[in-house]
Amino acid sequence: MIEREATIVNPLGMHARPAAQLVKLASTFVSDLELVKDGDPINAKSIMGVMMLAAECGSTLTVRADGPDEEQAAAAIVALIAEGFGEA
Amino acid sequence: MIRGVGVSPGIAYAPAVILEWTFPDVPDRSVAPGEVEREVRRLNEAVVAVVATLNRLRERVLERAGLEESRIFEAQIMMVQDADFLDGVIHLIRENNLSAETAYEFKALELRAAWGGTANVRLRERLADLLATQLRVLRHLMGQSDDELFGLRDHKHVIIVAHEIYPGLTVQFDRDQLLGLVSEEGTRTSHAAILAHSLGIPCVMGATGAVARIRGGTMVLLDGTTGSILLEPTVAELEAAQLMAARRHKLELQLEAATQQPAVTPDGHTITLMGNVDLPDEIETAVRHGAQGVGLLRTEFMVTGRAHLPSEDEQLEYFRRVTFAFGSAPIVIRTYDLGGDKFPAAFDAPSEANPFLGWRSIRVCLDQPEIFRPQLRAILRAAADRSIQIMLPLVTRVEEVVRAREILAEESDDLARAGIRAAKDVPVGVMVETPAAVVMADRLAKVSAFFSVGTNDLTQYTLAVDRGNAHLASRFNPHDPAILRMLSQVLETGRRYNVPVSVCGEMASEPLHAVLLLGLGFTTLSVAPPALPLLKWLVRTVPMETARRAAAEALEAPGPDAVTEILREALKPVLDLRLIDTQGPLPGRGSGASLLP
Repeated sequence: MIEREATIVNPLGMHARPAAQLVKLASTFVSDLELVKDGDPINAKSIMGVMMLAAECGSTLTVRADGPDEEQAAAAIVALIAEGFGEA
Repeated sequence: MIRGVGVSPGIAYAPAVILEWTFPDVPDRSVAPGEVEREVRRLNEAVVAVVATLNRLRERVLERAGLEESRIFEAQIMMVQDADFLDGVIHLIRENNLSAETAYEFKALELRAAWGGTANVRLRERLADLLATQLRVLRHLMGQSDDELFGLRDHKHVIIVAHEIYPGLTVQFDRDQLLGLVSEEGTRTSHAAILAHSLGIPCVMGATGAVARIRGGTMVLLDGTTGSILLEPTVAELEAAQLMAARRHKLELQLEAATQQPAVTPDGHTITLMGNVDLPDEIETAVRHGAQGVGLLRTEFMVTGRAHLPSEDEQLEYFRRVTFAFGSAPIVIRTYDLGGDKFPAAFDAPSEANPFLGWRSIRVCLDQPEIFRPQLRAILRAAADRSIQIMLPLVTRVEEVVRAREILAEESDDLARAGIRAAKDVPVGVMVETPAAVVMADRLAKVSAFFSVGTNDLTQYTLAVDRGNAHLASRFNPHDPAILRMLSQVLETGRRYNVPVSVCGEMASEPLHAVLLLGLGFTTLSVAPPALPLLKWLVRTVPMETARRAAAEALEAPGPDAVTEILREALKPVLDLRLIDTQGPLPGRGSGASLLP
């Protein structure tokens, strides 16, 4: 299991469309993927969960990956968040 | 009349149709153990069918509004298919031998409760999307069709009135059938509002009491710009609304064109237009309206109405959020302007007979370092890799600036010693909003990186007029020659000592007054974000030469009324004054200034 940190940089935060992008990307990996923001981990492959995070611009998330492709999975998710979901 | 918030501009006039949009009555139904798997299959089939419907809606939106808008349905489709949620429903069906709809409703209500309970506004807005998808699945499970959803297709023209509008509704009708939308819930940033705006359907949200007060068939006149809703309007009211709409439309076309263009006057003078940001949700509007940075970032919202002072890290997070949003554009952070009722709940502030002349702003900050120091530290840290400036409010004495800079230097040293990443120094400027600061500007210039004029307080203190007193409203004139002369003096001093001078007061968002400021020589103005499009249009419309002549004349005028007359005369040849009529509720006035949602 590995953990990486990522800061939300797009002004609107993780609203519906970025959440959808993230879930789509997460679903392409075999590893279990979780996001943690002050508290309980949520499943990064569930859009309801990702939206419930209500992650705003400037907040920091922990990306937790566990499985055969955990390195690539965590790196891809962190990159998507760092790029501001192509919005910033 | 019913008042709401205009979220999609334009006038609509048609009979109202009330939309009751609630979950169908789901009977509590158990099934025999042998039928459980059939219920699971039914659930999966319903999901497949609803996904197909949403895909059709997405295509329609793609065709009629665009790719960006159609992505709203992408998220909805994923919500319907969410494996975690569906696993929960299937588990419930199998454990308790429930019918698919009974189990689905149970899980849906559970999720709604969790989601609706959150304090996050954006998330609550997405509840409408969630409800829309769940409603579709439930209706499908209960054998009710999506297409017959409301049985309203026989109406020729309608204005839909509902408790809440979900995004799909806007495209389920033909464009010429659905003339307008009214809802009690929802805001400018809800998906239904964004879609209505893209499709050009006038829409008013936040119209509390609309469903109870409007009967089906009532003729409704709604104004999606001002948010007003008239029931059974008179002929005169209809005509007035149409005239206003035509005038507004003309200006809107011009404003829209200006938003994408640089703020340069017809005779080639470049002006910098920045945004004032009071609250976090204004960041987005400022960015969208092309603000070239933030000329006044207010920080009081982090304190007022709260039990505790915000921590250094909390402030840092907010400052980072703002700087990220604006890229490399400068951000001017005003230190706490606390006073009167603007204190944290737990703070032991004395009650005052005359709070505007009392213990407030920089005075409080210098007296209470436990408030001031964490803010300065947060600013220093946020400034490590972004362009940030500090603005001190209500300065009346040179020592205040000197002392503030000493404290800043102390905190900078402390951060360096602790090995915390931070800027070594941040430029400190003065918010010029007292007559004392104007008169002492030459001395202040020696210790200040910039001046930014706060016209509201400067007007109040100079004219001795309480701006909150309705009896004195007609005397509260920032265009009074007394103020203009002060502005001119600050500009002159700034020029002499090479200190940049800008305006961050409300005066700059008043069209006629903005022309005056440009004419006096200000090249940087910062205004509330909704006022930016009109201001940009003005800059691009009025030649600097016209503004300068008017300003020179206004400086010699005997009083404010003469100044208004001078401005009107000067502008008549270059623009249609009716467009910026200070009496008419046009875009560009107050909060209605935005032509974008």
